[in-house]
Amino acid sequence: MSSIEKLVFEFEMQKLQKQTRRHFLMDCVGKIGGLAMAPLLFSCDPGSNPAKSMGLNLSNRDLNPLSPLAPPFASKAKSIIYLHMAGSPSQLELFDYKPELVKNHNQPCPESLLAGRKFAFIRGVPNLLGPQANFAQHGESGAWVSDFLPHFAKVADEVSFLKAVHTDQFNHGPAQLLMQTGSARLGRPSLGSWVTYGLGTENQNLPGFVVLTSGGKTPDAGKSVWGSGFLPSVYQGVQCRSKGDPVLYLEDPSGMSRDLKKNVIEAINSVNQEEFNTYGDPEILARINQYEMAYRMQIEVPEVMNISDEPAHIHELYGTEPGVESFANNCLLARKLVEKGVRFVQLYDWGWDTHGTDHDGSIDMGLRNKCGEIDRPMSALLLDLKQRGLLEETLVVWGGEFGRTPMQENREGKTMGFLGRDHHVDAFTMWMAGGGIKRGASHGTTDDFGFQGIEDQVSVHDIHATILHLMGFDHEKFTYDFQGRPFRLTDVEGELIRKILA
Amino acid sequence: MLDFILPLLGRLHPLLVHLPIGILIFGILLIFMQKKNSTGFNPVIRLAFLLGAISATLAGISGFFQYQFEGFAWESVQNHLIAGVISSIGSFYLFTRIKDETIFTSNIKLQVLALFLVLTVTGHLGGNISRGEEYLIEVLPAEIQAIAGYEAAPEKSLEIPEQGWEELVFYGEVVQPILNKNCKSCHNPRNLKGEFNLTTFEELLKGGENGEVLKAGNPELSALFAKMILPLEDEDHMPPKEKRQPSKEEIELIKSWIAAGASQNTTLGQAGVDEKLLEPFFHKEEIPFYPLTEVAAVPADTLSKLRSAGFFSETVLQGSSWLKVSCINFPGFTDSDWILLKSVKDQIAYLDLSATQVTEEILDSISSLPNLTVLKLNQTGISGRNLEALSNCKNLKMLYLNSTQLSLENLSGINQHPNLQKVFAFQTPAGESKNPVKFSFELETGNYSLPKIPADTIVY
Repeated sequence: MSSIEKLVFEFEMQKLQKQTRRHFLMDCVGKIGGLAMAPLLFSCDPGSNPAKSMGLNLSNRDLNPLSPLAPPFASKAKSIIYLHMAGSPSQLELFDYKPELVKNHNQPCPESLLAGRKFAFIRGVPNLLGPQANFAQHGESGAWVSDFLPHFAKVADEVSFLKAVHTDQFNHGPAQLLMQTGSARLGRPSLGSWVTYGLGTENQNLPGFVVLTSGGKTPDAGKSVWGSGFLPSVYQGVQCRSKGDPVLYLEDPSGMSRDLKKNVIEAINSVNQEEFNTYGDPEILARINQYEMAYRMQIEVPEVMNISDEPAHIHELYGTEPGVESFANNCLLARKLVEKGVRFVQLYDWGWDTHGTDHDGSIDMGLRNKCGEIDRPMSALLLDLKQRGLLEETLVVWGGEFGRTPMQENREGKTMGFLGRDHHVDAFTMWMAGGGIKRGASHGTTDDFGFQGIEDQVSVHDIHATILHLMGFDHEKFTYDFQGRPFRLTDVEGELIRKILA
Repeated sequence: MLDFILPLLGRLHPLLVHLPIGILIFGILLIFMQKKNSTGFNPVIRLAFLLGAISATLAGISGFFQYQFEGFAWESVQNHLIAGVISSIGSFYLFTRIKDETIFTSNIKLQVLALFLVLTVTGHLGGNISRGEEYLIEVLPAEIQAIAGYEAAPEKSLEIPEQGWEELVFYGEVVQPILNKNCKSCHNPRNLKGEFNLTTFEELLKGGENGEVLKAGNPELSALFAKMILPLEDEDHMPPKEKRQPSKEEIELIKSWIAAGASQNTTLGQAGVDEKLLEPFFHKEEIPFYPLTEVAAVPADTLSKLRSAGFFSETVLQGSSWLKVSCINFPGFTDSDWILLKSVKDQIAYLDLSATQVTEEILDSISSLPNLTVLKLNQTGISGRNLEALSNCKNLKMLYLNSTQLSLENLSGINQHPNLQKVFAFQTPAGESKNPVKFSFELETGNYSLPKIPADTIVY
C-alpha cells in the first residue's frame, strides 16, 4: 500500500470506530426507505466491505493477533521481566557510592550545580545529603552495593549496572510514561505492547503481556504505562491481581457448565464475525480473539497464578506468602509466567518516592524498609531464573522513572523533619540481567556528588533501543504506521548500549 | 573588480545547457515531422539549428569556466567537454547544410540522428558530473539495481582486531578508513569540494582552498578536526548537516591522531592510544548460535499443519530455516506423536518437550535431529538412561533436564559431547547428588538459597 492509501485506510478505520448509536439512528431516517431497494441494488455495491475494498489482505496475524512471529534479527532473549520501582529509589543509597558526598554532608550545594536548573520541590540552595547507607564492593566484579540490599549484593555479579541514566521529566507521571512508552505525553504504546505486537506470544492460553502491581497503589501515570497507544488494543498489558482471583470472573458461575459457556462464546463470536464481514474493523477481530482467549485462560490462568503449589524451598528463597499482595509474590509469579511462555511481565512496586516528608518517605528508614521488601525477592528471582536456565533467554530490567538528588530536600525552602531527596533527572542507576547482557559489568560514571553523568551517559531511548535489540529488533526499523507516518518506540533517538551486551 | 564575471558565467552553465538541448531537439523533431517532399518547415528548422548552435557554444564556454573555477578534475569532465564541442560544431554544420529548399534525404536524417545521439551523451555525462553516477539508480528498487549489475558498496566501517591493534598504522589503517567512509565522496580527485582531496596523505597535508587542515599536535587548530566538532547548525560544520555524520568515537580517533603528531607511519602502539578509544571498533567474531549448514526452509503449509496439530512452531528468526518447536500448548504429546515432527527433522533447532508425556524412548527419536541446538525436557519422566543417543545431535549446545529423574551416572553418557555447553539439572537426583563430577560441559544444578539474615525481618 502506498502511504496515501494507508492514510485513507486509517481514516476509514477511525470513522468506523466513531460510529455510535446516534449515527445509527440518523442513518435509519434516510436509509430505512432505501432498505427496500437494497436487495435490488446489492449487486451494484462491491464496496460494502471496507477491508476488502481497501485491498487489505487479512493475514493469519489479523485473525489471530497474538500468534507468534519470528524476530527480524537473531534475538538473545525471548521474554522480559521488567521491575519498575514506581516513585524512584535513591541511587545514592543503593548503587552509586560517592565518598565525596560523605565528606560534604550538610554543606550547601555548589551554586554551579544549581544554575539554570529546576527541581520538583527543592527551592533556593539546599544542603548536600551524604549517603545514609554503608557501601562495600561485592562479588568478582567488585560492584558497589549498599547494606540496604544485603541479598542483592550476593548476586550483583549477574547484572550489568547502568550508572549514568538520564531522563528529561522530573514528575512521576510523565517520567513513567517516558520510561515505559518512550514519550512523556499520552498516546504511545508501551514497551510491552511493542514487544508483543512484534513477536506475539508463545503460550496461546495466556496473555502475552501481563502486569502485576504491589505496594498498595498503581503507578501515578495510570494504566497508560501498559497501554497499547495506537497499536491494536489486543496488545495492551493485562493486569492481574496478586491477591484473590488473579483475573476476576474467571470461574464459571454455579449452574453454568463449561460446554454451555463455549456455546455462548461461539454464538457471540459468530455475530461478531458477521459484524466484521460487514465493516471490516480489525478491532472486532481483537474482540473475538479476547473472548476466545478468556475461554482458554480459564484453564491455564488459575494454575499458573497459583503459587501455593510451589515447594517450600522456593517460598523460602523468595520470601513469599500466598494470599497477600506483595512484590515477593509477584516476582515468583513473574518466573512462573515466563516459564509458561508469556512474552512480557511488567511489575510495578509503589512506594519509592522518598522526599522525607514522613517516616515512610525517609531515606534512612522508609527507603530501608522498602529495600527490605524487594531485596530478597528480586535476588531470588535472578537465582531462580538462573537455576532453571531461564536467565539464558529472559531479560530482567530494574529501575525507577528517575533518580534522587544528592541534596536534601528543603520543601518550600524549609528544613524538613526527615531525611529526603527530591526527584533527579540528570543521573540515576538502573540494571539489566539475563539474555544477552554481560555479567558483572558497570557502565557509566557520575561526578563526585552523583549529580550528573560524566562518562557513558545513557538515555531512556538508549535503554529501549537495547531492549529491542536483545529481542531481535532494529529499533530504527521496527515501526508502526499511524496518522501518516511510521512511529518507533525510540522516535528519532536511541543508541544501542553495546558495552553491556554479552 | 570584475573577477566575479567568469565564475558567475561558469555557474550559469547548468541553466544554459538546457537551451541547446531543447531547441535542437525541437528542430530535429520538425525534420521528422515534415511531410515527404515538402519544405514548409525549413525556415523554422534553420532557425532552430542556428539558435541551437549558438546556445550550445555558449553552454560550452560557460561549462569551461565552471570547470576552471569550481574544482572539477579534468578526467571527470573531459568526455563531457569533448561531446559538448562535437554537438556544437555538428549543429553549426547542419545549419549550413540545410537550406530553405532542402529536401531531407535519409543521408541528412542520419546525420541529424547522430547529432541527437551526441547531444544525449553530452547531457548524460553532464548529469553524471553534477548529480553523481548513481543519481537515477539510487531510487530504483533493490532488485532492479541488482539486475542492472549495480550493487551499493558503501565504504566499509572501520574494524580493528582486538589482539595486536598496537601494530596498526594509525594513519593508513585507522584514520584513512574513517576519512574514506565519511569525507571521501566530496573530497576526492574527481570531486574537489573546497579544492580539497583527502584520499592520500600528501594531498591531506596540502590542504584545501583555505590552506592547511592539519596542525600536528594541535587538533583544535586543525581544520580537519575542528570543523567536525562545530555545532551541526554552523555553516562551516563538516560533513555538511544533511550528510551522514561520523560517530563521536571516529572523531575522537582523528583527534588523537592529530594530537599524536599526525604522522604517516606511526602505529597505534607508538602513538600511545588508549585502548578505550578503540573498543567501539573491535571486531567481534560472532559465532552464530545455530548451525551454519544450510537446509531447505520449511514450507508454509507444513508450518501451519504443525500449528494446527497443537505445536508452537516458528522459525528462530525471519528468513531462517531453523525451526523452534515447542509443546507449550500440547501437554498431551506422547512418544507416538513424534511422527508429526518427522517432516521437519532437519530444520528443528530448538525443541521444547517440557511437561509432556514423553518417555525414555523419545531420546532415540530426538537423536535423529541433526541440527538440534537447544533441547528442553523439563518436567518429564526421563531418567536419561539412553542419554548417549544425543551424541548423534552434534550441534546440541543447551540441554534442559530440570525436574526429571536424571542421575549423575546417566549424565556421563553425554560427557565429551563436542558442542554441548550447558546442562540444567535442577530438582533432579543428579542435582541432589553430593559427589560433584567434572563434565566436559557446565552443569547447573541450582538449589540456590539466600540464608535468613536479621535484615529480612527488621523494620525501621
